[in-house]
Amino acid sequence: MIDTQLTIPDDPADALAAVGALRRLADRVEDIAVERAVADGWSFAQIAEALGVTRQAVQKKHSRRLANTTKHRR
Amino acid sequence: MPFQHFAKDTRAVVAAAVREEAAADGRGLVEAEHLLLALAGNPQLQHLGLDHEELASALAREEAQSLAAVGVVAEELPRASSPRSSSPRLATSAKLAIERGAKITAKRGQRQMTAQNLLLGVINAEHGRVPRTLQLAEIDIGELRARL
Repeated sequence: MIDTQLTIPDDPADALAAVGALRRLADRVEDIAVERAVADGWSFAQIAEALGVTRQAVQKKHSRRLANTTKHRR
Repeated sequence: MPFQHFAKDTRAVVAAAVREEAAADGRGLVEAEHLLLALAGNPQLQHLGLDHEELASALAREEAQSLAAVGVVAEELPRASSPRSSSPRLATSAKLAIERGAKITAKRGQRQMTAQNLLLGVINAEHGRVPRTLQLAEIDIGELRARL
């Protein structure tokens, strides 16, 4: 569950730490989302378009990781 | 990974542990906090009493706390089925820690970096997840430094 009511902490150390934590969270969401899209039959080109990045970027990050899921699709 | 500067007996142990920690994290990146966790399980540093489980739990709390500070509560997010890379690359925080470890090694007139020197390099970070995590684990950095 993700619950959001965004605030920026006054202490810069806390605010900067939050930036790092949000980036790591975004990466985790991306991994799960890409995995599900591939399982649903999306191509890397379609996923790349949805993410607004190049197909190469998606492939570089995820193709090895999802080799088993994508095996019969390419 | 630039582990050629390490003393032979620590190299394999550290490299394997670091790979394990970074893989468990799933991002394909070795961060300074992964070095910290890897070193906490190092037999040569056992006398320091750094508890791997305790540090891993403090690291997770640091994450939750940092997200909560901006109003994000992310609980029970499912895990991806596999990590991004089986051979993770060094992130900036880890590179800086190793650089500091190398400087300490040179300053001490040693030819190769020991696990102690690397740990010093890791805990000498002024900012970032390592000092925040150590604080949450109630570990006195000054005291730890004095024992290295």
